[in-house]
Amino acid sequence: MSIFEYNGSAVVAMVGKNCFAIASDRRLGVQLQTIATDFQRISKIHDHLFIGLSGVATDVQTLYQRLVFRHKLYQLREERDMKPETFACLVSAILYEKRFGPYLCQPVIAGLGEDDKPFICTMDSIGAKELAKDFVVSGTASESLYGACEAMYKPDLEADELFETISQALLSSVDRDCLSGWGGHVYVVTPNEIKERILKGRMD
Amino acid sequence: MGFKKMKLDTSGFETSMPTIGFGSSNDMLDGFSTVPSFDLPRTTDFDGFQKEAVQMVKPAKGTTTLAFIFKEGVMVAADSRASMGGYISSQSVKKIIEINPYMLGTMAGGAADCQFWHRNLGIKCRLHELANKRRISVSGASKLLANMLYSYRGMGLSVGTMIAGWDETGPGLYYVDNEGGRLKGDRFSVGSGSPYAYGVLDSGYKFDMSVEEASELARRSIYHATFRDGASGGVASVYHVGPNGWKKLSGDDVGELHYHYYPVETATAEQVMEEAAAE
Repeated sequence: MSIFEYNGSAVVAMVGKNCFAIASDRRLGVQLQTIATDFQRISKIHDHLFIGLSGVATDVQTLYQRLVFRHKLYQLREERDMKPETFACLVSAILYEKRFGPYLCQPVIAGLGEDDKPFICTMDSIGAKELAKDFVVSGTASESLYGACEAMYKPDLEADELFETISQALLSSVDRDCLSGWGGHVYVVTPNEIKERILKGRMD
Repeated sequence: MGFKKMKLDTSGFETSMPTIGFGSSNDMLDGFSTVPSFDLPRTTDFDGFQKEAVQMVKPAKGTTTLAFIFKEGVMVAADSRASMGGYISSQSVKKIIEINPYMLGTMAGGAADCQFWHRNLGIKCRLHELANKRRISVSGASKLLANMLYSYRGMGLSVGTMIAGWDETGPGLYYVDNEGGRLKGDRFSVGSGSPYAYGVLDSGYKFDMSVEEASELARRSIYHATFRDGASGGVASVYHVGPNGWKKLSGDDVGELHYHYYPVETATAEQVMEEAAAE
């Protein structure tokens, strides 16, 4: 198994009507052994910007801490929050700085930009940005996630329908992956509120 | 590309059978009286090819099976997940193989290997019954399998099985693996989830258990193994082998078992209301 499969992870983000949803699994494992079932993979940068990181858990935590640090400095200097597009460029630059000794994670960035237009993108571990209009996936279950999202996604879904769609896509994909699952964590973000929900999934 | 036929010499392992009718080449019995022969591919680097083939089957023994002897017989349980590396290829694999109405075999390792050799063992057991007018003992059946696997030692078979049954001497349980090892015992667990299953099994085991208590112990052990081990999951099947043969007791989906053992407590709404009042 490769190093990206050491801890196991699954992250997905979807675009809806003036809203977005980002979801991840909750397992932290060491190869086949499950260590924890409440691992935080999605983190808030500011009220309209979330980042989900898949890959090696230590790099997930360290990279998140570095990004929060950079964003706080930006907030002090600019006296405002970063736009998602700008943040994506920042993440890409930070990852490419370590081109020959990379952070072993693949981020999924989701946010509401100007005029509350949803923005999602994903990157590989050295910062290659991939923008998408519908959904992005990352992690050990990414192939299953691609299939499930492709089948279940519809454009312009409202927040509640989007929650259902992303949850079903996540749960059905991680049920085909030994290394991710054990519950789910979903954030649905609209211009006015953030709804955080824990999913009841198969614990095997 | 041509193939050369290789027949392994197992004259030492053949069961003693009457020679009448067996001397002439009888198509139906020829393949069964000796070890099955397999074609070998003609390659330039046979050893390298073998090594690659072994590695291909290697991501195996991703499973949890267990069996134990207690007062009322033998309890056998297994999960039902098949995994290829990280991918779950099936959640509904039958890992407890019914060799005959009074003997069970468990599957861990390569699915094809286990299915084939257990079926082959079933055939040999039936032939023994016909030839000797009595059922084969668990000890004898496990010995047949172990000898067969020993002759294929080093060729990359992956089999970690337990033979459980009830014969004239009472309940019997043997562990047989692809190295040709054969162990008699009271409690075994095989597979990547076995350490977790042993933890629950060993702490809850008593010889004087009823069938219900033993089946609950077996089910719980498999459940805990599926929780911790990524390569185990699906359905926890529990079988009981008694003096009249085996009987399947239950097949519970472990996803549902988790919430049966650890029900979700819904968060109270009062907490939210307190925060609003404090503002």
